[in-house]
Amino acid sequence: MNDQSLLEWLEKAALGDESAFQQVYEATHQDVYRTVAFLVSNKQDIEDIVNEVYMHMWRSYHKYDPSRPFRYWLHGITVRKVQDWKRKSWRRIRLFERNRQMTCEPFAWTDQAVLRSELQLELFGIVRQLSYKLRVVVILRYFHDYALEEIADLLQIPVGTVKSRHHLALRELRARFEMTGGDVYVHG
Amino acid sequence: MSMDKELREEFRQAAESMHVPPQLSERVRSSYQKYVNEKRGNTPMKKRMLAGIAAVAILIPSTALAATYLADDIFGSSSIIKQHGGSQEDYEAIEGFLLTAKGKLTEAEFKEYAELTKQLVQLKLKITDEKGVVHEEKLTKEEKQRFEQLSSKLAPYFEKISGNAKP
Repeated sequence: MNDQSLLEWLEKAALGDESAFQQVYEATHQDVYRTVAFLVSNKQDIEDIVNEVYMHMWRSYHKYDPSRPFRYWLHGITVRKVQDWKRKSWRRIRLFERNRQMTCEPFAWTDQAVLRSELQLELFGIVRQLSYKLRVVVILRYFHDYALEEIADLLQIPVGTVKSRHHLALRELRARFEMTGGDVYVHG
Repeated sequence: MSMDKELREEFRQAAESMHVPPQLSERVRSSYQKYVNEKRGNTPMKKRMLAGIAAVAILIPSTALAATYLADDIFGSSSIIKQHGGSQEDYEAIEGFLLTAKGKLTEAEFKEYAELTKQLVQLKLKITDEKGVVHEEKLTKEEKQRFEQLSSKLAPYFEKISGNAKP
């Protein structure tokens, strides 16, 4: 589906046309879900955020700038919704002192539930251990193929910051990859 | 393989192996329906509000002259409207509209119409400042309901008056 027809569906959906809603959902849900799932660990949280992304889409379709690719707009919303969620979850932590629980959470991300477990994705596994700030840059760069300038715009941070995070992320990935690579070699 | 390529490849594989839970589509759909219902639910109320505002606003453009003021019954006197950003001309215009109304409606209808208009105008004046700017947020919840009620009661009269004016 091209951007033009997607926008038309979106507009109809926002005005209450349910079949248009179905079209938009079909065309976008995998992309949204995967992006969120790469950024957030908990399955329930992923679904909450995806739901939020769609609610935002209906409410703000009129803000979409047709001179830019649709997916760019969509990814902007997705990243912002994930960040909103993170802010809220930090507040929750402070309120209920769930600190310990939260530090365990990245590993509670069940490969079995979201990802087929037989896949041997070493680098991907390491990406998941990066801090959120580094991870989001890596995902936008290597999963969505955005230029560093575009990433800066999507995350609303300076390009210089994106560059240094990108650099840091790669360095960390490389270091950890070499470590596990050696490990695999020894045990393999 | 370079790390760039490897990363892209692993992301692709990881993405492809992910299955969006089927129950998610139901959830997104039900929030969507909620969104649509809210949107629809709002519309009639907005329409009534607009009809009310239009009813009062259209009072202004029609013109006529009158020696005795029907409008005095509604506003008290022309000085009231002047305190809310209106002019003597506006007052004359409203008077003109009221005269038209008197001509088009039966006596009983006009009496009812004038009474409802009076109440609506009281609310309207309450939220209009001296520059003529309307602050709807000044209405309490009850007043807002009353406002809508009055507007919808007035709507049929209003149609009768302005509708017949343009045969």
